[in-house]
Amino acid sequence: MKKYIIIGISVLGAATYLGCDDEIQDLEPFTQGNPETFFNSVATFQNGVDGIYSQLWNYYSDPTFGMQGVPDILSDNVILVQTGRRSNETNYDYRYNPNSGGPVDLYWSECYEAVNVANLVIGQIDNLADGPEKDNILGQALAARAYAHFDLARVYAQIPTQSSGAAASPGIVYIKVEDGDTSDPFAQPSRETVAENYAEILGDLEEAADLIGDDNGEGRLNRNAVYGILSRVYLYNGDYQAAIAAADEVSTALATPDELEGVYLDANNAGIVWELAVNTSSESTFNNVGVIYSQSNSSATISEYAIDFAFWNSVDPNDIRRNVMQFLGTNQGNDYNAVKKFLGETGQVNGRLDIKVIRAAEVLLNKAEAQFELGLGTEALASLDQLRDVRYTSYTSGESGQALDDAIAFNRRVELSFEGHRFFDLKRRGESVQRSDFGDIIDGSGTPAEIETLAAGDFKFQLPIPIGETNANSNLTQNDGY
Amino acid sequence: MRSKLHWMLTPLLALCISLSYGQEKLISGNVTDQSDLPLPGVNVLVVGTTNGTQTDFDGNYTISAALGQVLRFTYLGQQSVDRTVGVANTMNIQMEEDAQALEEVVVVGYGSKARELSTSAVSTVTGEQIEDMVPSTSIDNILQGKAAGVQVTAANGRPGQTAFVQIRGVGSVNASTTPLYVVDGVPIDPDNINAINPNDIESFSILKDAATISKYGSRGANGVVVITTRTGKPGEARITFRSAIGTGERIPDPFNLMNASQKLELERQFAEIGVNAAQSLPGAISSPEQLAILRSLDTDWEEELLRKSFIQSNSLTISGGEEKLTYFLSLGYDKNTGIIDRIKGFERISSRINTTYQAKEWLNIGVNVSATRSSTDLPRDRNNAQNPIRALYDYNPYEPLYLRDDNGDFVLDDQGNLIFNPTTAGFPIARALSTEPENNRNFLLIGNIFADIKFSDMFSNRFTAGATNNRFNRTNRSIVGGVLDGFIGDANFPGTQTDESNIDFQYNVNNIFSYTDTFGEQHHLSANFLLEYNENIFTDVFASSRGFPSPDLPYQDVAAEATDVGSSETRRILFSQGLFVDYDFDQRYIISGSIRRDGSSRFGPDNKYGYFYSASVAWNIANEAFLEGTAINTLKLRGSYGTSGNDNIGDYNFLNLLNFNTYNGFTTAIPVGVGNAQIQWESQAILDVGVEFGLFDNRFNGVVDYFKKSSNDLLLNRPISQTVGDEDNSILSNIGKIENSGIEVSLSADIIRKENLRWSLGGNIVFLDNEVKELVNGEDINNGNTLLREGEEINSFYLVRYAGVNPANGEPLYLDADGGVTNEFSTSFQTLLEGKSPAADLEGGFFTSLNFKGFGLRGDFVYKAGNYITNFQRSSGVSIGNIDINQREEAFNYWKQPGDANVLPSPLFAATADQTSTRFLEKGDYLRLRTVTLSYDLPGRFLDGFGISGFRVYATGQNLWTLTEYEGDPEIGLGSAETAEPGDAGFVPGEFSLFSYPQTRSYTFGVEIGF
Repeated sequence: MKKYIIIGISVLGAATYLGCDDEIQDLEPFTQGNPETFFNSVATFQNGVDGIYSQLWNYYSDPTFGMQGVPDILSDNVILVQTGRRSNETNYDYRYNPNSGGPVDLYWSECYEAVNVANLVIGQIDNLADGPEKDNILGQALAARAYAHFDLARVYAQIPTQSSGAAASPGIVYIKVEDGDTSDPFAQPSRETVAENYAEILGDLEEAADLIGDDNGEGRLNRNAVYGILSRVYLYNGDYQAAIAAADEVSTALATPDELEGVYLDANNAGIVWELAVNTSSESTFNNVGVIYSQSNSSATISEYAIDFAFWNSVDPNDIRRNVMQFLGTNQGNDYNAVKKFLGETGQVNGRLDIKVIRAAEVLLNKAEAQFELGLGTEALASLDQLRDVRYTSYTSGESGQALDDAIAFNRRVELSFEGHRFFDLKRRGESVQRSDFGDIIDGSGTPAEIETLAAGDFKFQLPIPIGETNANSNLTQNDGY
Repeated sequence: MRSKLHWMLTPLLALCISLSYGQEKLISGNVTDQSDLPLPGVNVLVVGTTNGTQTDFDGNYTISAALGQVLRFTYLGQQSVDRTVGVANTMNIQMEEDAQALEEVVVVGYGSKARELSTSAVSTVTGEQIEDMVPSTSIDNILQGKAAGVQVTAANGRPGQTAFVQIRGVGSVNASTTPLYVVDGVPIDPDNINAINPNDIESFSILKDAATISKYGSRGANGVVVITTRTGKPGEARITFRSAIGTGERIPDPFNLMNASQKLELERQFAEIGVNAAQSLPGAISSPEQLAILRSLDTDWEEELLRKSFIQSNSLTISGGEEKLTYFLSLGYDKNTGIIDRIKGFERISSRINTTYQAKEWLNIGVNVSATRSSTDLPRDRNNAQNPIRALYDYNPYEPLYLRDDNGDFVLDDQGNLIFNPTTAGFPIARALSTEPENNRNFLLIGNIFADIKFSDMFSNRFTAGATNNRFNRTNRSIVGGVLDGFIGDANFPGTQTDESNIDFQYNVNNIFSYTDTFGEQHHLSANFLLEYNENIFTDVFASSRGFPSPDLPYQDVAAEATDVGSSETRRILFSQGLFVDYDFDQRYIISGSIRRDGSSRFGPDNKYGYFYSASVAWNIANEAFLEGTAINTLKLRGSYGTSGNDNIGDYNFLNLLNFNTYNGFTTAIPVGVGNAQIQWESQAILDVGVEFGLFDNRFNGVVDYFKKSSNDLLLNRPISQTVGDEDNSILSNIGKIENSGIEVSLSADIIRKENLRWSLGGNIVFLDNEVKELVNGEDINNGNTLLREGEEINSFYLVRYAGVNPANGEPLYLDADGGVTNEFSTSFQTLLEGKSPAADLEGGFFTSLNFKGFGLRGDFVYKAGNYITNFQRSSGVSIGNIDINQREEAFNYWKQPGDANVLPSPLFAATADQTSTRFLEKGDYLRLRTVTLSYDLPGRFLDGFGISGFRVYATGQNLWTLTEYEGDPEIGLGSAETAEPGDAGFVPGEFSLFSYPQTRSYTFGVEIGF
């Protein structure tokens, strides 16, 4: 009897043994996908492309270090508000270093994550049949990959027009699946030169321009967007003729005076060539972009940065852009020129809005500046006036020479203020950051900026490579000065 | 043979009873041990009936029985005594120690063994040792200082918060270092430990060396805590009711915060010196009249934000049984409101039933079931304005709770109500505590059934099936018109709410087939074959909505629209076989061995299966003839060596995966990161050599162990170039190696053992040493302020060295990388500080217990030394840049004129002064009186006639006294939960202090009544 029991248990045990082994082998992830097999249709490839956009959106929309705000904080457009949380003070005072985290880490890491998704899509693109749908996917991925690299290049390296030695100075690492750059996760790539970077950025964009569709819906790249980006990259690269040609390919109309206010409330998309969008209904807990400038509720606005008093006063009283730039922010009994562009949708103060990456106005300003650089003063003035006509009528036209250059730069500063341009525009033109002596309060009193000047040529114009990268990759050299 | 005789006699006795029925009388007496000391709790049973009782505290009993019936006296460790009832009405019994039974039984993993025959280092903490601990803390906190080598660090002072428990040092860098908890044979998630009613616990057995933990294979590396719950004993039902109430408060800081006048003065001074950040502060710009008003508003924010907690604990247990059936029932209710005002704290209701039934002569079955519901309100524990603890240090004392105008008069809202002051922080925390509530509820079921089958004297089998099922619910709200709703809410859809519900279900089925035999009288051999299947299924659903009509309707049904929903599932499967063999010769020479094979769904494809083994020996010298008759009662040498694993490596780390989310409402697919196909459990080898001894009738006992624990194949993030685009810029790989070694000593002594006076002392200590042996390519791993470096202590602090203030100009000075003094600060000056880490060099606890005629006084101390803590809380309280928030009085002591020494840096050097450096690195040594209890047991003679068998009153104080040089509370686990908590890369418990829920001291008063 006992023998049978023992045999019985042994058989039972053996059966359990085999059965349970299958259980272990067969267990698969429940809520995650397999990157080797997932991309098999146009729809799933678009999921991947939307993944690239979301990675770009991540670093543009970050409520503390977002790239739609930090380039303004690093510039002369804003002043630190003493009653705020003093966020970004390290950056505002140019005290960043390889260890200081924040934007230094964020852009380096997130841009390359965007590049990684792009390469995943591009590497498997032949899973799709040839045709316009495949081209459109590939075009979006190439252009987005180029744009992420462009952001890396302008943040961490010199801009070609910045100085005479810029083109040969260290750039960033351009990662392309086609070149086998993605095969080894332990690779330790070296920096290429700035000139090589811009050649690859432009190469990807030019290829994308031929492939991409005309309309992919809000928040996605399309033919206009690619040419818009091209006009900017060519301008940064000093290819003025090409910048003008690219700008001419963009068909998006300027926002009219009536439309302008709605642009910053996300009530319309007038004049927007490309934006990184958020669905504020289904994505109601996503980043509050505007928190980088201020947090508001019904009774107070806790501003982190207010509009620089001198800059604010330089804007013509009749300029309709004043209305989209500024609102009265009150905190602890003080009034401030609070930044309005990212306050929220109509009726909201939660700071959750689409990020306007390229607008028709910028494309036109790119063109005007390129025309000026080529000595085409009349054409440049005409381009500038085309914009000024829909912004304020009280201007005196007819500038030429330095005055025209200044007028283009000034209108660029006003038009694109608080949208992440100013630091790069000063940088690429080889100019200094010169902040005013005024304080943070609405009448110019209060506490002025601690550091008022960042001289042209200062190494702080290039953010440091994060310490994590140089620790992990010994081939990657740190920027000068850090 | 003897037991068979009883079986045969029983019907005979029953016959006698029926014959002599009607002649029952009351018999009373006193039961003592060999040394004439009264024995409380002796079971007295009228054989053949269910009529039984227990002796009271003084060893007295009273029972009704008839002439000729037999009274059986039983007590653990004593030989049973049977006495036939005669004519006398008094029967005094002196019991004798039972050499066999005295062999205390110890849990050795998948079963238990006589301590004498154990080859393993096991510490046991019994239910009695913990019964006076403040009830509503989690039971893991209670273990602190109770057992050698068991390092317990309270995470923080939040009621219901579980503790950090480590056994014999830091066994891992990235995987969890929490031991495996097993309740009555069923593994339980350490997060649920706080759901167990301490009154249900018979014992904790802490398994520490390879001889036992290897039996748990890939889950044993951090040690195993086996919790055994109580069972009933045959005899009349014993009913015990306990009730305690008390109150707690924050342990006072060893420093003062500024009051309004002081703070305004400091602002004035800073502004005068030229500190930019002070220029527009009230102390600098206010008129004398305004200053007078501000001074008059002096506010103690601790009083405004904290309160004295209310602590309550009630429990009822009923236990007993008959010869074939035992039962233990319990009910418990615990409440601790915590010290943060305006939120509810922790509340727990628990119940349990444990039963066993001897169904057949060869079959014993049992069921243990417990159900616990707990609920807790969670304050934000992060380093920002939303944290009430940070607020009480930050808020300026001239900023009162309610908003005032320039004249110091209250400002009212449109409805005429007072308005909570947003203060300089811009966030009215007192209001936010009620408008941003988070409430967590847990409902935990633990159940198991077992069947012991005896095939013959040689073969037996135990089958156990158990499950734990925890339902977790969380509700987070930002109510309409609340603080956060104003900032981040949607104006068209005010108010948000998220409800989350997850079910963590784990079931465990195991079967142990046992063989035991004796050859030639002296050779004892046993073998156990284990089959075990364990599966964890975790499912989660959540939903969020916005647009609530009223703050009083906290259900999403009333919301305008849903904004987010989700569901997810994860599973883990572990399937194991094991063979455990024990042999002893004449109970003198003992050899044990184990081997186990684990198959796990967590391991990579090439490492699905792992083998773990151990071998151990012991020599029971006390059983040798040459020690007979000496003062040495116990003397055993033992040694063990073996392997085990740590499987807390996360699921699916061996795969490349895509995560799904949305962009502008469309689905996105994003790679998570680079998987590592080679991933496997972290492995560990432990060597342990120990000696156990007992002298003078075991009045003086001790255990000394030396251990060396090598943790290999540790999972480390191998950093990769960020250009790869991996989410965490690293690949998890099995590369690291660390080593812990140490000596544990635990001693206890009954110094006085007289009838009316007993005094015992006991304590334990562990001396620990650890070293990083191997890292990725020998390169340091930098976690910011701590570093892992080969050859150094684990998580050694890595900071810039502060060199004091330049007496000439007040500038802070540092040492650069080469050790030269400089007035600059750069993170490139960071230096590894040898021997300074958050890990203690020694820690433990000790107690003293004095009993005199029913009065008891017991004190339990815990201590720790050799660890360092970065005191960010102090840094925050003296930072120059923080002049806009409140400061410690110490901040006045800044450099003012040339020659000033022992001062803080001049406020003009904020940029270099407000930096993390060794300036805020402090020793964490402390000695703390964890509990002191004064109790009184009413003598039996007062209770007779009330139907009460025991009455005890007690008062307990917790954390009443601390000796430390640390500038704050030295007992730190979590610095700031949302900044760094277990699971976060580089998290080290006790590394820094940063406004987590503070530790509390409490006073409780309780009564215990037994029927």
